[in-house]
Amino acid sequence: MSIHPLEPKAPPSVPSDDDMRLHFEVQRLYAVEARLLDQHRYADWLELFADDLHYWAPVRTNRLRRQQALADGSPGEVAIFDETRASLAWRIRRFDSGMAWAEDPPSRTRHLISNVLVRAADEPGEYVAESAFLCYRNRLEREVDLYAGGRTDVLRRDPDDGRLLIARRTILLDQNVLLAKNISTFL
Amino acid sequence: MREDQEAQERQTYRPIARLSEDVSRYFDLDRGLVDRAIFHDAALYRQELRRVFAPSWLFLAHESQFRKPGDFFTTYMGEDPVIVAMGRDRKLRAFLNACRHRGMRVCRADAGATKAFTCSYHGWSYDTSGKLVNVPNDEDYPAHFDREQWGLTEVAQLDTYKGLVFATWNPTAPPLVEALGQMTWYMDAMLDRDPEGTEVVGGIHKWVLEGNWKLAAEQFASDWYHVNISHASALMVMSPSGKGPRTEIVQTPGRQYTDPLGHGAGFPTHPKSRFDDRVVHGYYDYEALRERLGDARAEGPMTTGHATVFPNFSYLPVNGSVRVWHPKGPDRMEVWAWTIVDRSMPDEVKDAQRLYNLRTFGPTGIFEQDDGENWSECQATAHGFMAGSMTLNYQMGLGLESEDGIHPGTTGRLYSDGAARGFYARWRDLMNTPAWHEKDS
Repeated sequence: MSIHPLEPKAPPSVPSDDDMRLHFEVQRLYAVEARLLDQHRYADWLELFADDLHYWAPVRTNRLRRQQALADGSPGEVAIFDETRASLAWRIRRFDSGMAWAEDPPSRTRHLISNVLVRAADEPGEYVAESAFLCYRNRLEREVDLYAGGRTDVLRRDPDDGRLLIARRTILLDQNVLLAKNISTFL
Repeated sequence: MREDQEAQERQTYRPIARLSEDVSRYFDLDRGLVDRAIFHDAALYRQELRRVFAPSWLFLAHESQFRKPGDFFTTYMGEDPVIVAMGRDRKLRAFLNACRHRGMRVCRADAGATKAFTCSYHGWSYDTSGKLVNVPNDEDYPAHFDREQWGLTEVAQLDTYKGLVFATWNPTAPPLVEALGQMTWYMDAMLDRDPEGTEVVGGIHKWVLEGNWKLAAEQFASDWYHVNISHASALMVMSPSGKGPRTEIVQTPGRQYTDPLGHGAGFPTHPKSRFDDRVVHGYYDYEALRERLGDARAEGPMTTGHATVFPNFSYLPVNGSVRVWHPKGPDRMEVWAWTIVDRSMPDEVKDAQRLYNLRTFGPTGIFEQDDGENWSECQATAHGFMAGSMTLNYQMGLGLESEDGIHPGTTGRLYSDGAARGFYARWRDLMNTPAWHEKDS
C-alpha cells in the first residue's frame, strides 16, 4: 500500500477510507508527540516508542557532488543522537533531576510537524512515515534557536492495544555546523 | 638568498600593520587576578589572531582521516580556512584555503578525495600538493607570470604527535615536540595506551557557541571545580544509586598540571582509576596499562581527567573526545569534536566508546549541554560596561603548587585555577611579543 504517490508521474489514485484513517492516525500521533515535548513531559513522550526503539540523528557533512552518498553520516559514526530506550531514559532522568541547569529556567519550545507521508514498510504490519519538523526554542530573555529537518519513522502497532508506536526514527537536521549551543529537547 | 625569501614572502602575504597593546595591565597572576576585557574586547581579539594563533602550533586533524593520496579535510587555524591534504607522495600538507587570485575558498567540502582543488570563480586549479597546475587564459598573463610562485599558501611547519596533526604558520616556531614540552607525558596517558595508537571514529560534532574561545580552553585546562555543580544532574544519573554523585567523586583527590608553555591538565588520582563505560572498562587490562604507562599515569591522567594543549586544543581521556575551539570573533566560538578510540579495540568496544562519548559530550551530551549554558551566560554579561570591566578571581590553589616527585613539572591540587593562571601567563607573553610576521613594523 502506498497512500501517497511519491513520484510526480505516478498514476493518480483515490485514497481509500483505510488510507485516510491511517494518515489521520499518524498525524494525530505526531501532534500528541509534539504537545508532550513542548510540555517537557519526556517520560510520557518515551511511551510513544516501542521497547526496541532506535532513535538516530546522524551528522551531515558538505561533500562534493560526486561524493554526495557520503553526505549523511553512517551508522557507527559520531551522531547527534544514537539512542536506545535505556539511553533516552537516562537523558530524561537528567532533565527530571532538578539540577539540569541548561533547562532551568526551562526553554519554551514549539515543535511543528508537517509534510507527513505514509507508506507500507517491507516488514508486514509496519509503516514508514516521513515528516518535516521545525522546532523553535526560545530561552531566557531573547535566545532563539531553530532546528529544522526531516524525520523518517518506522511505525508499528502495539500488540496489546493496537495504537501506533514509533519503532525507529532517523532525524536529518538540515544543518552542518549546529547553529545552537546545545539541543536540550528531542526532535 | 635572504632577499629572495623576503621577496617571496612579500608576494605571499603582507600583514596589515596594527599597533599592538601591552596586555600586562589586564593581569596580576601572582595575586590570581584577571580582567574581563580579554574575553570580549574586539581589538584584543584581532591582536590575538596575530600574536597567539598565527605563531602557535595548532591542531588540524587526526592522521587516520587520511588513508590514500587525494584524501583531504578542511578546517580552520584561528579564523583562517585551511585544507589538509595527502599528496601523491603520501605526505600531509596544509594550505590556506584561499585562491591566490582573488582569495575565494578553493575547496568548499568538509572532507573527501580529489585530484585537484579548482576555484569555481575563475578556474585556477591546484593539485593536492598545493601547486598551481591550471590557469585558464594564461596566454593573457605577462611573460614573467610563473605558476610555480602562485601555489596555495602552505603552512611553515606541519608535524604529527602520536596520530594528532598540528601545523603552524610560524617558520621560527620550535619543533612540535618542543612546543608540547612536558605535556606529552600527560597526553600519552590517552594517546599511548595501545601500541597501535589511536584512530578517529567517522564524523565530527560541530556546533556554535556565543562565548569567547578562552572560556572553553581555560576550563579544559584547569577546571575540575565546576564538575560537581554544573554537572550535578549528569553525575546523579550516572551514579549507581541514581540519587546523587558519590561522596568519593565530590571529595576525590587529584592533581592539576600547569605548564610554562600554557598547557594544562587536571585529573583525579585513585589506585583503582577506571573508565566509566562498562564495556570499555571490561576491555582494558589495567595491570598491562600500569606496566605500559607507569603507576602515576594509570592512577591519574589515564581516565577521568581534562586537558588543554595551548592554545585551543582540548581532550577528555575517559571519553576519547578531542576537540578544537575555533575562534569566531571575540564573542563566539565553534566547537569541533572528534571521537578517538584505540586501534586494537574490538569493534564492539569502539562502538561502546563512541556511544558513551556522544551521550555524555557533544551538543546533546548530558554533561556538555550545561557547559554550553555556562559559557554563553559568561559572555552575555561581559557586554555591560561595569560587568565587562570586572576583575575575576583566579585565586584557587594559589601558592599550593609544587613539584610532587610523581607527576612531571609543576602540579597543584585538583581543585585549582593553577593551569588557568599558567594559560593566561602564556597568552599574556605571546600577546606582548611581536610575532615573526611583524619583523618590519
